[in-house]
Amino acid sequence: MSAHRAARRRWVLRAAVVLAVAAVVHGLAIWAAPRLIMGRVLAGIGTTGGGGGSGGVFLPPMTDASQRRIVMPSPDLLYAVCPFDVARTPLRIRADPKAPGYWSIALYSASSDNFFVINDRQAGGRPVDLVLAGPSAYPTAPAVPDGATLVAAPSARGMLLMRVLVADYAAQRDQLEAARATLRCEPLR
Amino acid sequence: MSGPRTPALEPTGPHRPARRRSRRRAFATGAAVLALGIAIGLGSAWLAVRREAGIAAGPWRASLLAGSADADAWTRARVAIGGLLALNREETMYYVATHDYTGAALRSRCTYRVEGTPPPARWWSVTAYAEDFFLFDAPQRRYSVNGETARLDERGRFAFVTGPAAPAAPIVGETVPWLPTPGDRGLLLTLRVYNPEAALQAAPASLDPPRIEPVGVCR
Repeated sequence: MSAHRAARRRWVLRAAVVLAVAAVVHGLAIWAAPRLIMGRVLAGIGTTGGGGGSGGVFLPPMTDASQRRIVMPSPDLLYAVCPFDVARTPLRIRADPKAPGYWSIALYSASSDNFFVINDRQAGGRPVDLVLAGPSAYPTAPAVPDGATLVAAPSARGMLLMRVLVADYAAQRDQLEAARATLRCEPLR
Repeated sequence: MSGPRTPALEPTGPHRPARRRSRRRAFATGAAVLALGIAIGLGSAWLAVRREAGIAAGPWRASLLAGSADADAWTRARVAIGGLLALNREETMYYVATHDYTGAALRSRCTYRVEGTPPPARWWSVTAYAEDFFLFDAPQRRYSVNGETARLDERGRFAFVTGPAAPAAPIVGETVPWLPTPGDRGLLLTLRVYNPEAALQAAPASLDPPRIEPVGVCR
């Protein structure tokens, strides 16, 4: 083989390695980005508590410009947050919000997918009662209480986000705060 | 038996440095190949998530798969960076505008008049964000105009103004709400449409897009 052909072969090989490394890094970065961002958000909520609350629920104050944890926060919604980990035990989620307008309870996986949502119209005035089970089997099958709905989470870790529409916070404060305070996230007993 | 090593058994003259140089060159080439691959991989990933995707309605763009478990990896990454914890399309549709109707990029130091008809939905809002996807430090918490706060004219249309300062005089002879956008930053407007009607869900591009018009000269 001539020196010229050998050199050309080396350059082709290097270009192939560059492309292969680029493809792997591209795929890894795209795959990891939502998981890293969700992980950071979950870790932040777990450590700071976002205002604290009972039943594993955090009740952050009304959104303003100082909120810089989650992008594109809505200033028209009051949130309640419940980070979950259902690897060992299912989670029981209950709420009975009596808000004057729209509200919803949405569940997000560790990769940020919105895998479940229920809103006030779908609830039809009835309390929400969910049992959230993880993707792996438990030693004993979870006993779903009467009236509760079983929801399968695609990942053990994730987050619940309750949204309550705020038309006029000052005027509706008591009603809105009472509505989001009905949210409970507790291990299924 | 041991004795002094014979210099004649070691590579002599230029051979040893030449081999070292060759090894060093091979290592440097390998590192450069690896670094270039990593840089291209990360750069292309960044470009992919920053690329505007989805459908367009005037200057407004919407991702059809935001929040959905059916989203591809690129959509999921894009949403995580620019709209984490989005709801799926049946619950809420998100339209984002980064340009005015002339195609010029929105800037917070410029003044814009936004006018449109309320979208066919249970509730809607338009919120002003800086280019980092967070709210402006707006006085009196004037962050958004929504279905509750918007005033509709006799034709059933809403209008509001964004800009660094409150309009000194009514624009086009009318007084409309003002969303403060202080500083000189990139600006994006997000239209949230809660519980959209089935027709809009099925055809998101059918939205009657609010018009974003620059007011005066802004350089």
